[in-house]
Amino acid sequence: MNPDLADALTEICGPDAVIVDRDRLLAYESDGLTAYRHRPGAVVLPRTTSQVRRSVLAVARHGLAVVPRGAGTGLSGGAVALDGAVVLGTARMDRIVEIDAPNRRAVVQPGVVNADLSAALRPYGLHYAPDPSSQSACTLGGNVGENSGGPHCLKYGVTSRHVTGLEIVLSDGSVAQLGGMGGEAEAGYDLVGVVVGSEGCFGVVTEIEVGLLPLPEGVRTLLGIFDRIEDAARAVSEIVGVGLLPAAMEIVDGPTIRAVEESVFAAGYPTDAGAALVVEFDGVDAGLDEESARAAGICERMGAREVRRASSEEERAALWKGRKKAFGAMGRIAPDLLVQDATVPRTALPSTLRGIAEIAARYRLSVANVFHAGDGNLHPNIVFDRRNREESERVERASAEIMRLCVGAGGTITGEHGVGLDKRRYMELVCGPAEVKAMRGVRRVFDPGGTMNPGKVLPDAPGEGDDRRAAQGGPAPRRSVGGGGARGTESVLELLPAGQKLVGEEAAEWLGGSGANAVVFPGSVEEVAAVVRRAAGSSVPLLPAGSGSRLRWGGGWPSGTGGVVVSTGRMASLVHYKPADLTLTAGAGMRWRDLDAKLRPEAQWLPLETPGLWSGTVGGAVARGGAGPLRTRYGAVRDSVLGLEVVTGAGEVLRLGGRVVKNVAGFDLVRLFTGSHGTLGIVTQASMRLFPRPEVDLTLRFEGGRERLLEGAAALRTGLLPVAAVELHDGVVAGRECATLRVRVLGGAAEAEDVRTRAEATVGIEPVDVLLGKESESFHRRSTDVAPEPLRPAAVTPRENSASSRLADGIKGLFDPHRILPRRP
Amino acid sequence: MKLSEEGLARALAEQDDALAKCVHCGFCLPACPTYRRLGDEADSPRGRLYLMRAVVEGRLDPGSDAFETHIARCLGCRACEPACPAGVEYGRLLELARQVGGSARPPPHISRLLLATFGTKWASRLAMLGARLLRASRIPDLLTSAVSWARRRSGEESAVESEPHSARQRSTARWGSLWLAFAMVSASAPPRRLFAEVRRRNAPRMPSGSLPRAAGADDRPTVGVLAGCVQAGLFSRVNAATERVLDANGYRVLTFRAQGCCGALHAHGGDLGRARALARRHIAAFEQAGVDFVASNASGCGAAMADYGSLLAADDAMAESARDFAARVRDVSQLLAERGGRAGAPLPLRVTYDPPCHLIHAQGVAEAPLTVLQSIPELQVVPLADAAECCGGAGIYGLANPELGGWIGADKVQSALRTGSEAVVTGNPGCMMQIGAGLALAGSRVRTVHLVEMLDESYRLGGVYGDRDLQRPCLEAPDGR
Repeated sequence: MNPDLADALTEICGPDAVIVDRDRLLAYESDGLTAYRHRPGAVVLPRTTSQVRRSVLAVARHGLAVVPRGAGTGLSGGAVALDGAVVLGTARMDRIVEIDAPNRRAVVQPGVVNADLSAALRPYGLHYAPDPSSQSACTLGGNVGENSGGPHCLKYGVTSRHVTGLEIVLSDGSVAQLGGMGGEAEAGYDLVGVVVGSEGCFGVVTEIEVGLLPLPEGVRTLLGIFDRIEDAARAVSEIVGVGLLPAAMEIVDGPTIRAVEESVFAAGYPTDAGAALVVEFDGVDAGLDEESARAAGICERMGAREVRRASSEEERAALWKGRKKAFGAMGRIAPDLLVQDATVPRTALPSTLRGIAEIAARYRLSVANVFHAGDGNLHPNIVFDRRNREESERVERASAEIMRLCVGAGGTITGEHGVGLDKRRYMELVCGPAEVKAMRGVRRVFDPGGTMNPGKVLPDAPGEGDDRRAAQGGPAPRRSVGGGGARGTESVLELLPAGQKLVGEEAAEWLGGSGANAVVFPGSVEEVAAVVRRAAGSSVPLLPAGSGSRLRWGGGWPSGTGGVVVSTGRMASLVHYKPADLTLTAGAGMRWRDLDAKLRPEAQWLPLETPGLWSGTVGGAVARGGAGPLRTRYGAVRDSVLGLEVVTGAGEVLRLGGRVVKNVAGFDLVRLFTGSHGTLGIVTQASMRLFPRPEVDLTLRFEGGRERLLEGAAALRTGLLPVAAVELHDGVVAGRECATLRVRVLGGAAEAEDVRTRAEATVGIEPVDVLLGKESESFHRRSTDVAPEPLRPAAVTPRENSASSRLADGIKGLFDPHRILPRRP
Repeated sequence: MKLSEEGLARALAEQDDALAKCVHCGFCLPACPTYRRLGDEADSPRGRLYLMRAVVEGRLDPGSDAFETHIARCLGCRACEPACPAGVEYGRLLELARQVGGSARPPPHISRLLLATFGTKWASRLAMLGARLLRASRIPDLLTSAVSWARRRSGEESAVESEPHSARQRSTARWGSLWLAFAMVSASAPPRRLFAEVRRRNAPRMPSGSLPRAAGADDRPTVGVLAGCVQAGLFSRVNAATERVLDANGYRVLTFRAQGCCGALHAHGGDLGRARALARRHIAAFEQAGVDFVASNASGCGAAMADYGSLLAADDAMAESARDFAARVRDVSQLLAERGGRAGAPLPLRVTYDPPCHLIHAQGVAEAPLTVLQSIPELQVVPLADAAECCGGAGIYGLANPELGGWIGADKVQSALRTGSEAVVTGNPGCMMQIGAGLALAGSRVRTVHLVEMLDESYRLGGVYGDRDLQRPCLEAPDGR
């Protein structure tokens, strides 16, 4: 360790905050995965953003890398320092900066422990939803780095859905403010989304803004005991298939049950069982009994020999005990335990479990499964003894096969533990060279020198040279847009047959005021790529479109610019839809109303309700991003997009993400393209997360003075009433000002009735009318056409500073190097 | 206390299996008071276990600064044990690590002096006599008030507000072992003012009257009460109260001499040789008396005695009687709670309960003390924030590490004050003195009281003991038993 650097860090953070003694550094050799041991060059423990900033600069001046580290509970070797890098520990940044209960948001420093935040929120009746199994120890900074999950993410979504703003110190010492103030990612790119899950490779997160949810009013837990694990897995699919959405569904297999029962944690599960399934419902008290009774019935139908139920907190703890203590119990019996992590679509669970058992038998290993069944997130635990070399090798080979099996089933190599050091070698199973290159490029936009947690996530770069220039975000060759002129346009058009293009007068209806002079309708992703590459070569500006609805609204660029509209309208097929998986994959050109028609018979929906949604396409919805009034219940568009196929402005085809709800394999570029308004690339296909359509959909309409209604809306909010949406509209009725308050209630029959009664009582006036079922739905559908603003906290001003706009420019330069796509908003 | 090479090798080998249990999950980190404050993983249970493993693997010299510093900085509160899913026996490993570290490099003078004093009967008695004389002189009370006044005057409070950590560290550095020791002696005095207040509030009421003792042969279970060294020296009133309340709750209390120090401080400090010698003497004394239960009112001692089985496991001659003895050890609150807690007179006070680490973490006794407190009529027990965290006393830790111990103690004092209680009830003399000293130095008049003292006061007022002692305020019982 260079003494100058030690002195510099001591100067910045104080003498007790810098560790350089080689012996003391031993404690930082490993994180939760002890297979990797790398002693850092030094550890620094700053308390403030300014100390982080100055420390990062000091380390950079000495040519060393920085590794951010929270509590070191990660299971992928992500928080260990390679090649004598400096660990930047966030343990002392443990302050909850702000709890803003009325707006349901909190701001914390990265070292705050997950469970401590929820404990601090309890007096407000709120909680932070993601609950990784290590929540008693892991920090929110670590959660952001890994995009952590947890049992209750089935209903509430993973970390990414709940992080609304970040402050991040970049390797050049600049401090970027991303998102924030509860704002949706409408302004610019979703940089928050791409930093979440970046495993410390983009910078050091120094402040985190999270969204909060009301604590559920009631909880019902049941435990199904099955003879065969496949039956338990089928019960999981069936419960989702009938439209129930439990808060959590967890499976513990037979070998694990026996380990638990033989340990001090004995939970009273029968030792001859093949599997135990924990199902938990939470939410409005009314209706929970009915839901859990239905789930219990399904368990019995699927062959459960016994279903236990809990309603009190003690009974609930007893049912959960076997699940929660599983790892501890396994740890007690095993010399070493490899906790694997992979995700498959829910319906692939039974066959995948069979496959894993087969692999285990083939390699003579004992594998026990404890997992988040509802998300399809498997944790096969392999018991072994590290001291046995030959056995360790078998573990290694079996792990690789399990990974391939899961990927083959439509899943991915990690659902929540991250890639870190451990899974870099499996990245090629889920990412091709183009995707890896794109990820590397994005990383370089944030960290050009590659000094933030180097050697993690991405496989080693083969030839560094070719993408270096783009990565620097440096001055891309700036050609004048439209310089291609008529010849350029011509060269693009000649790529497609007559039926797939319109020019001049023919295209008038399409082009509207867009300023373009032709429209093309490629029928495949390859054709899109060809068009983009040709346009890039001839500097022809392209305007991505779906059905053209946005153009009719006056989207586009100044008239006379020229260029070509690229419509995805011909790519309108439903590529993949398995209702029990609650996911689908559709061509970008599929109209939203057609999509909805496919979902309706299965009693499912995709409740986004963003402005303009119903007149456009899937690709349009993804490209516009944003959120509708149902955001608090179902999240924004970004939270529903699981995977994308896009053609970047450079003409590269990227297949990002996947079809599973939990996926942390590599950087989350899906977030960047979602809501990018076609400025980075053209979306050709999207995989989305679906929800069961609620049994009851009703809307209460209240009319009256604005002030009075605002009061009512505030009361609904502070009363933590579980309504799906609250909107206030100003209007004029019979010549005098009259505002309308719309309160939408969704849920099961009993639940909806209960919430409706309470909502009316809370607002304190009689509703002028109540819209029911289709009436309510179509009412909201119509209202998206006039694009009303959802009721939001007053002070919504997303913070963008120079560092964050520099990042956005870098991203733009990376994916649209020839500047042929629209300018960023 | 230098270990032979052979002994050292054995101690290390023994650690290998136990250490392998730690899977490095990190669940213990937030449970650890030193990690929570310092944020250095080497000051967490996981980090310390990793250093121990490195010693076993030959990668770390047990005489190194790192090993000495981080092993010494552990409070030994064992809050990490309930947090550990893999069941690592941290407390036992720590003792071994301290032994190994201590033989490679002697611990600081103050620790050695204290351990030597408590390990020798006459020295311990002499020290305690000195402490009692000092306490009787009221000098510690005056000094404590003066120090407390001076500190508040110098405006440290405001500094604490503006920059919590560094300012607090600076201020605790000035605490100094000396002031703390004086304040601790002062805090060991009986809570006269508190109980006088109880009597004032209770004045209009009639005592509830004594309950007749069952006639016939005395076939009640027999209990030997651990006299201890600090308890016998400074808290003989608590020992006497323990005997009275046990007697009133259906136990026959046997009194006998020839007890000594139980060796808890030595075991926790890593002086396992002396701890074993003291344990052997102790077991012999109780065996002679032949008791059903060994009751402790000092949780540190209770935890150590409950651990005699493993401490003497390698001693062929004593192993069995050690296991037998350990199985009879109970905290006094357990014996009382088992009997359902007989009610005495009302104590209309607002108090909070701080569970001693060696009771709640090491012995897993969490409910019994609360059951006992709840059996006292009109006693309002307010929950204490972060109650399960150590008070920083930790045996001789507070004296040996005044800086960090003082920081941890100051946090405990703050959360106690926030409850608005009139007294902090606990179950260990070390905690009573540490928290009491902290309260006094913070300028508070809130007192620390032993759980048994509370119950005893309720019984006295209620006339449970019959004519004996009725209405006489609780004062110092005769010393030198």
